[in-house]
Amino acid sequence: MKMHTEWTDKLSDYLDDELEAAERAAVDAHLRECADCTAVLNDLRRVIARAQAAAAAARPPQTDLWTGVAGRIERIHQPRRVSLTVTQLAAAAVLVAAVSGGLVWQFGSAKGSRNQTSASGEVAQTFPGSPERGTRDSGGPAESGTFAGTDSVAIVGVSLADDQYDAAVADLERALKQGRGKLDKATIAVVEQNLQTIDQAIAQAREALASDPANSYLSGHLVEARRRKLDLLRRATALTDMD
Amino acid sequence: MALSGDTAVRSGMNEDVALAAAGDASAFERVYRTHVAKIHSLTRRMLGSHEADEVTQDIFVRTWQKLGQFRGDSAFSTWLHRLAVNVVIERRRSFAIQRERMTDDPAAMDFVTVAPARADLTVDFEAALEQLPPGAREIFVLHDVEGYKHREIAVMLHITSGTSKRQLHRARMLMRKHLDGL
Repeated sequence: MKMHTEWTDKLSDYLDDELEAAERAAVDAHLRECADCTAVLNDLRRVIARAQAAAAAARPPQTDLWTGVAGRIERIHQPRRVSLTVTQLAAAAVLVAAVSGGLVWQFGSAKGSRNQTSASGEVAQTFPGSPERGTRDSGGPAESGTFAGTDSVAIVGVSLADDQYDAAVADLERALKQGRGKLDKATIAVVEQNLQTIDQAIAQAREALASDPANSYLSGHLVEARRRKLDLLRRATALTDMD
Repeated sequence: MALSGDTAVRSGMNEDVALAAAGDASAFERVYRTHVAKIHSLTRRMLGSHEADEVTQDIFVRTWQKLGQFRGDSAFSTWLHRLAVNVVIERRRSFAIQRERMTDDPAAMDFVTVAPARADLTVDFEAALEQLPPGAREIFVLHDVEGYKHREIAVMLHITSGTSKRQLHRARMLMRKHLDGL
């Protein structure tokens, strides 16, 4: 067989449809005249066919490699995408809703109202601090929905995703600490417990979002938890203003 | 079911993959057993049988570490395959043989001394494959076996598309010599 390398060198590109039209036409013309190059072309077709057949014929390793893999992954911390189960998140959501609902019931008789103020004093030692304070929603929700309640306590235009939120929470916590003497111990205990629950939900949602920033479910969960916290603080603070 | 599993339902992600992503080692073993043949075949063809076992284990350990990054945007098998190719390429680079394998070695197939095993054409094909110069073999496997395009191979291997095409043709011509006797 006589090899025409100037032509055979083009045959792979020819088979892969990588040639320009004019070049392809020239190869076609040569192949019509050259049996040797046509034979090479057919051989290359066989090679490709064998490769494609091999792709479908995967063979497992001769020895079981799982033991080695298992031994290694045991010692490796796996970055988790989400550490919460749906059930856990659903339970947290229900709990947060129950907290809010319970407080609505508990504070239902509240008639006083107050505007957001910058009360003096340290952040509550009794009321848990806000674990998310001072942090940003990196990769978190883009929502910046405002909270404008229908009751008499107005915190209008507070974004849930920017510094306004942190400032509002800080002000409310200070006001709550300042006025906590007006609340009975049982009410304080309920508020503290519920704030802790919400803070845990916020922290867990943040942790999960850090691993999966694009998860819209988690983003929505975080926004809702933050809104609940603002709502709870607002209602509790309003209670301290009651005569 | 973990949240990732719930996401899996929406995106078509395999439930075992979702469970493994949440840290379930038993689910990960099932994932391993489902895919190990294809991954081992890939590593064996690209690196040779002497390295395939170790690199296959490396790939699945890496998979365990990276599962949290899999979003289900593509099929898990596609994601895993790409991860495996990357591990294989890293391995080759770590041996600093990138340049050597791109050198011409027209006599490479002369080292094929094992007679073609006609009763098992797949094994024979793979035996021939192992005799290819590493660079040509890598590109042949990626293009003709695994179905990657030249432009994709060029990106993965940090070479030009032209180099990929030349190495592919070289590999095919060498394989043709071996398969010619069948």
